[in-house]
Formats: sequence, C-alpha cells, structure tokens
Amino acid sequence: MLLLADTLGGMAPSDSDSSPGSVQAAAARERAHFEEEALAHAEHLYRIALRLTGSPQAAEDLVQETYLRAFRAWRSYSPGTNLAAWLATIMRNANMDELRRQSRRPPSEPLDEQSDYYLYNRLADTGREPQERVLARLSGSGVVEALGSVPENFREVVVLVDVGDFSYADTAEILGIPIGTVMSRLYRGRRLLKQRLAELAEREGAA
Amino acid sequence: MSVDACHGAEHLLQPYLDRALTEAEVARIEGHLRECDYCNERYIFERRLREVVRDCCCGDPVPVGFVDRLRLRCCGQDDVA
Repeated sequence: MLLLADTLGGMAPSDSDSSPGSVQAAAARERAHFEEEALAHAEHLYRIALRLTGSPQAAEDLVQETYLRAFRAWRSYSPGTNLAAWLATIMRNANMDELRRQSRRPPSEPLDEQSDYYLYNRLADTGREPQERVLARLSGSGVVEALGSVPENFREVVVLVDVGDFSYADTAEILGIPIGTVMSRLYRGRRLLKQRLAELAEREGAA
Repeated sequence: MSVDACHGAEHLLQPYLDRALTEAEVARIEGHLRECDYCNERYIFERRLREVVRDCCCGDPVPVGFVDRLRLRCCGQDDVA
C-alpha cells in the first residue's frame, strides 16, 4: 500500500495528496528549504569561527559541525526568530565542546580598572606621530594576532559583537549570560585588545 | 568642560558606538561631543579603531568550495526525533 502510494506519487505527483509518501516528501521539502536558508549564513559564521579558532581548517570544521548539529535539530528552530543567532548559539556550544575535548581550559584574565582611552592615551604618551596615523599603519595580521591573544571568555564576546555584528541582546542569548555581563566582558575585552594593539604599535613602530 | 561630563561621556562611548543607547542618552553624548574637543578627538579615534579592527578581522576570503562542501556533508541527514 505504502509502496503503491510511493510509486503512484512518483508517477503522478499531486499537491493535494495526503498519502504517507507525500507527507514525507513535504517534510523533506520543508527541511531542504530550511537547509538552504541556514546555509545562507555560512560565510558569516565562518568569519566568526575563524576568529574563535584561529585557523581556516579549524574554522571550517567548526562550521561543518555546527550545520550537522543544526540540521539534526532543525525542528527546534522557531521560524521567524533570528536564524543567525540560533546558528551562532549552536556554533558557540560546539566550540566549547571542542575546547573541552582538547582539555584546553579557556584562560580567563583578571583586569584592573583601566580607561577606555587606554590606547589613545598610550599612543599620545609614547608616540611621535598622530594616533590616527598609527592606526593606519597597523598590519592586518598584527591586529588578527592581537585579537587572538585576548583570552577566550572576553574574545568570544568581542568576536560576536565586532566581527559577527550581533546586538548585545543576541549575544546574551547566544552565550546564555545576562546582557550586563555581555557589556562588561565586551568592554573589558576591547580594553585588552587595545593593550595588545599598543604593544603591537610600539613593536611595529620600532621595526 | 567638567570632569564629570567627560567621565559620563567616556562611559557612554562604547554603547554609543554599538548603537545600544536610548534616544535620551544619544542626545546627551552627542551634545557633549559637539562641545568638548577632548572627548570628540577620542570618539573619532575609537570609531576609526573599530573600522580598522573590523577591516582586519572580517576580510578573510572564505575557502573555495566551502558552502558546496557543507551542502555535501551536512544536508539531507536524518532528523533527531
């Protein structure tokens, strides 16, 4: 019977048909549609993954693991909500699992209270050229390295907001932490980044 | 310009650049930046710094065939009930 319905379905497809074969076909179409919608975010996720993992191969592996998990659980996505944030949540969890598997505890860093203007002031103190020009001179690879050296718990927030362009609210949801914590980690993370950039500017200025 | 006003502006600057302030706060910091060269110079620097970081950290090319590989390896698997 099922076989017959499938066969007939294959021979004479009909939209109004509610046989098991066509229900399955509709589900498959729905899923395929979801997959394509989700894949539209792949390059966005890759750029975030690259800054989380530090290497193109690890980033590609992480995004692949993200989509495997996402497609397995696709029915738990609520249509109309932010799909990019939903995928980023899965990716963040996959990344934490991978860090745990490698038993690299993400280092966290205490930070003394420091001004948001740290880099500007430091360059003003030590530099012989205008701060703007120092910024223009920073090498791309140096900036990437500086961001990569920010401890994981601060870096992931900076990456989600500054690279991923997620709002504070989306970032809070992705990380499962309150918005106030997102803000404090973000600001601290950026201050740490500025410290690293100041060191970089001095190194590159001396070179 | 009072130290308090500048301190308040420093506090608002990051959320201002993140477009996360209320209208009243936006009016407050923009009013201060118009009047205060000290804070405005720093604001311009912070804004430029963001652009530099974004340009450096978001410009990597996505590997050739990346999305096709994802489609091949991830699509059409079984659902988890």
